[in-house]
Amino acid sequence: MKRTGILILLCVAISLPACSSLRHHDEDGGRKRVGIVFDIGGKDDKSFNAAAWVGVQRAEKELPIKLRNVEPGDPTSIEPSMRAFAERGYDLIIGVGFAQAPIMEQVSHDYPNLNFVIIDGLIDNPNVASLIFKEHEGSFLVGMIAAKTTKTGKVGFVGGMDIPLIHKFETGYAEGARYADPSIQVFENYVGVTDAAWNNPGKGKELAKAQIERGADVIFQAAGNSGLGVFDAVEETNHLAIGVDSNQNWVKPGFILTSMIKRVDVAVFNTVKELIEGRFSGGVHLYGLENEGVAYALDDYNRSLISQSVIDEVDRAKKEIIEGRIKVTDAMAAK
Amino acid sequence: METLTSIINLSLLASMIRISTPLILAALGGLYSERGGVINIALEGIMLSGAFTAAAVTALYHNPWLGLFSAAIAGLLVSLIHAVASIRFRANQVVVGTAINILFLGVPPLVSGALFQSTGSTPQLPREQTLPDWNIPLIDRIPVLSQLLSGHKPIVFLALLMVPVTHYILFRTRFGLRLRAVGENPEAADTAGVSVEKIRYAGVLLSGLLAGIGGAYLSIGQNSLFTRNMTAGRGFIALAALIFGKWNPLGAFLACLFFGAAEAISIRMQGVVAIPVQFIQIIPYVVTLVVLAGFIGRAIPPRAIGQPYVKEK
Repeated sequence: MKRTGILILLCVAISLPACSSLRHHDEDGGRKRVGIVFDIGGKDDKSFNAAAWVGVQRAEKELPIKLRNVEPGDPTSIEPSMRAFAERGYDLIIGVGFAQAPIMEQVSHDYPNLNFVIIDGLIDNPNVASLIFKEHEGSFLVGMIAAKTTKTGKVGFVGGMDIPLIHKFETGYAEGARYADPSIQVFENYVGVTDAAWNNPGKGKELAKAQIERGADVIFQAAGNSGLGVFDAVEETNHLAIGVDSNQNWVKPGFILTSMIKRVDVAVFNTVKELIEGRFSGGVHLYGLENEGVAYALDDYNRSLISQSVIDEVDRAKKEIIEGRIKVTDAMAAK
Repeated sequence: METLTSIINLSLLASMIRISTPLILAALGGLYSERGGVINIALEGIMLSGAFTAAAVTALYHNPWLGLFSAAIAGLLVSLIHAVASIRFRANQVVVGTAINILFLGVPPLVSGALFQSTGSTPQLPREQTLPDWNIPLIDRIPVLSQLLSGHKPIVFLALLMVPVTHYILFRTRFGLRLRAVGENPEAADTAGVSVEKIRYAGVLLSGLLAGIGGAYLSIGQNSLFTRNMTAGRGFIALAALIFGKWNPLGAFLACLFFGAAEAISIRMQGVVAIPVQFIQIIPYVVTLVVLAGFIGRAIPPRAIGQPYVKEK
């Protein structure tokens, strides 16, 4: 009896988040309907998901669309959320994050007449646009800035989940740092190997502190919410961090050297725009330095932290990467 | 050798203490509840409620002490749900605990949506609005101890203090004796004129108080914001530490330190030793299994644990 009780409770609990997050409305006044399914980090991670959220919100403001969003509480509710959009015939369904790629591959196969977008994933179906970013190139530039700023000759990297996508940030960053200073030491750590690694600021902070003890004075984080713990660690010890995905310079002014911006917002907006203008196309859409898809952030919060000579040098390297004279290893392609 | 000293050093011990703090508080909390005969697997949910309340109240009123106080109250209220359901209404304690854990995965995002227009995390607090670092005057001057014990958040000292206090309460006071009695043999305690219900309520509420404070350490002590599900299983690890420590305050404390040390070592080994991260991160759990199975022997729970008490008419 007791066991049955527990089982029933668990079943109900697991199915709740999936259905609670969708509201049913059908009065959309002929506008195109766009549904977005966020990653586990949620849309206010101040980083990756936040950028996607900015993109669709801008699209909602400027384009004739009806927008709905879902934040899955756990990985198992991603698929039902995505299918719920598909069953109701949404014109465009956006999946945020690599974790949704295998799910979207199946769903987009089942609904060949609908359009899908996957961010950070690669899906071969003709009705799916895969938005791929050259994170390694942007990370190369912030790696250079880190190497030019460090006083100890040691810089750190704290990744979230240990996966090929985050290795792209890591290798690009390390290569950039070594390009600027061949003798530099780079420490690399990961928060974890499950998706909980994106939401563990306590561990992010401890990892950063351990790197600081070993001498690192600039730390680049690509760790979602866990990265906010890295920011706390550098503030406490008066060192510098580098933000990721969104421009995070504002989060801890004076302690964030720069941010490796991934223009997920621009990419998402462009895709919605293409849909409205009837130009939507499947396949790979590459965002790199050449089309400002990745960049390093420079604004009033960090202008005083980076000297003009460093900016000049980094911009020169940027040009050379675009022209193909500097080759940055793409950790995902290499595997 | 250099590798070894870069892993094992004083800062490792300081890091161990920081990581253990929320575990110690939650485990001691669980001890009060379980010694009284009520299984408390809701520690995770209670910690989440404490962590969220602390961060939200501090963000709104800019006072971390008020945040800490509110977290304790929040923990108390959540454990009251547990107590009423499992003592008053004699519900299955495991089911109640599970329900609370799931409930508090969802409640913080909901409330933070209403308060901060966000769906999971609270605004990041400036450093001066988190709990201060306390330097202990005398210890401050002793070389090794100062690195180990000084400059921590107040909650760290509270956690360390609660270990002897709990030991005293449990084994040297009338309340402690009664708590143990209702957990081992409620019928006998009842016959002796002890109100089983009241004592059990007290145990469960104390567990909520301590676990709530443990949660606050995560959001306004160690970090400066609440993020969704930020306890990341710490409530369950505390529960494991409680069992590992054979429901004894000192044992549970040592078990928490052990988990903290394993985590701190795994953090420092990463990138220093050429072992894949995945392996390093399973170390704490593998060691636990080995130790539990091989060295500690059988952990014997309080005899009446998990059984609602029905007074004979």
